[in-house]
Amino acid sequence: MVDATLKPSWRLPGAAPGADATLSFWRREPGRAQWLAIALVSLAAMFAAWWAVTRPEGLVSSLFLPPPIEVWEAFVRLWSGPYLGSTLGQHIGASLQIVIGGWLLAGLVGLPLGIAMGWWKRLRWIAFPIFQILRPVPPLAWIPLALLWLGIGNSARIFVVFIAAIVPWVMNSMQAVYSIDGLLVRAALTLGASDSQILTRVVCRTALPTLVAGARIALGNAWTTLVAAELLAATAGLGYIALNASRTLEMGILLVAMAIIGALGALFSIGMHLVTRWVAPWARAGVAA
Amino acid sequence: MSGATALSGGRRDSGIAAARQPALYGAAAIATLLFAWWLATAVPGLVPSRVLPSPLDVVARFAALIADPFSGATLFGHALVSLQRWGIGVLVAIGLGVPLGIALAWLPPLRAVVTPAFELLRYIPPFAWVPIAVLWFGASTTTQAVIVFIAAFPACIINTQLAVSGIDPILARAARTLGAGSATTLARVVLPVAAPTIFTGLRIAFSNGWMALVGAELVVGKQGLGFLISQGQINDSAATILVGMTTIGVLGTLIDIVLQRAQRLALPWRTDSVRPAE
Repeated sequence: MVDATLKPSWRLPGAAPGADATLSFWRREPGRAQWLAIALVSLAAMFAAWWAVTRPEGLVSSLFLPPPIEVWEAFVRLWSGPYLGSTLGQHIGASLQIVIGGWLLAGLVGLPLGIAMGWWKRLRWIAFPIFQILRPVPPLAWIPLALLWLGIGNSARIFVVFIAAIVPWVMNSMQAVYSIDGLLVRAALTLGASDSQILTRVVCRTALPTLVAGARIALGNAWTTLVAAELLAATAGLGYIALNASRTLEMGILLVAMAIIGALGALFSIGMHLVTRWVAPWARAGVAA
Repeated sequence: MSGATALSGGRRDSGIAAARQPALYGAAAIATLLFAWWLATAVPGLVPSRVLPSPLDVVARFAALIADPFSGATLFGHALVSLQRWGIGVLVAIGLGVPLGIALAWLPPLRAVVTPAFELLRYIPPFAWVPIAVLWFGASTTTQAVIVFIAAFPACIINTQLAVSGIDPILARAARTLGAGSATTLARVVLPVAAPTIFTGLRIAFSNGWMALVGAELVVGKQGLGFLISQGQINDSAATILVGMTTIGVLGTLIDIVLQRAQRLALPWRTDSVRPAE
């Protein structure tokens, strides 16, 4: 999942304040108010263009892209009554349950495994090549195998989400523990700390930001994979709504489903950033992304 | 995995033997895993071959898929179709994404213009576009290529932008002081410095596109490696699925190795200062 923002606050590293002054408008970083104004105008222009091309006499047929009002009506329809046997809340619940379940399960296995792989080099030598072999296979490619093994049900989807999430969990925790400054460990040793004290009080504490970053990437992967799994085999969930709407040519519903998928993905990402700031306030934003 | 743990008896590691040790452990682990797989399928009644075929069956299936067409094409045929769709999607993504990324880094107000659209779309996973792409383009190569494009495009833009905006401002200012205009600075200073980082970002785009293609082929299409494994599932042939998965993984790895080589050949200087975003 893409995880770098086109941040408005960017400026050339080391550039002196006011160093931009000699540059033309296009080369200068806009001020906060200016930036906001440009962004708002751009957003409004986008919606205006959408509205304009989808008017009854517009360029684009509503089968290709429905007008904004139709998307809103579809949302209201989804919100107020059941669609494909469940209400919108139940569909969202079905998706969330699996994504959180698979992600937590992967964390329960992956976090200790990754920390152990970072801590004990022999375990790393043994387990890392196995992950190296499995990593190039996209999690989605496991879907047919999961369906063959577990049938069309929640367990197949949880399995695929688990596969998608465990790699970042393991890799980030291993990397975090492995790359810890040896000086910290030696200092703790000098002060008489035992191995287990070093692991819990020094290593895991220092590695925390990277561990949480791994959790965030894992959640993003899990979500992406679940949507694909729901497109293939599901009886509820947002991906299922999207696929069904495309079969019945209900473009409004399809766009609403995509928007909710995107909004939940954004919520996960923002939520995990908040968690990072809460458990590891000393971590620089964006480190080890 | 557990079988290999018993090997970790040795305590001392010194000299040349120590350098070889990790590889030995890794090889032993993989060999143990393969042996366990074979054993599990060789003992009658332990694991039914419908669930997990023996490694030998998979190899035999691999040979058969190379020789005879399955679901419309041989293994090579399916792989070729996949590679073609992937190539089209990724090349378009690079062709549009790199220039746009440079423009965004070079012209800050432009960034303010595209950020709302970008923020609205970036959290929608590439596969969520599959149903709408099918409606727009039908079950065709275009649909698959569009999904590859959607998966690869953000990585192209973001990493190009990071690479260009991450270069040492002293360089650009020095060029300006020496009288270079914007175009000259961009072409002669900024791009050569940013190129290795841009290329690293493109490698991520290539791999994102490959992963997305598999997913798109699972849902729609009549050929391709993703289609092959979904046919394996429909025909209840776990061996076909495993051959397909292995081919996808091996091709993905090969692509990355080729790109790394190309990067070293074409851009032998290294200026990576920015960590690319996945």
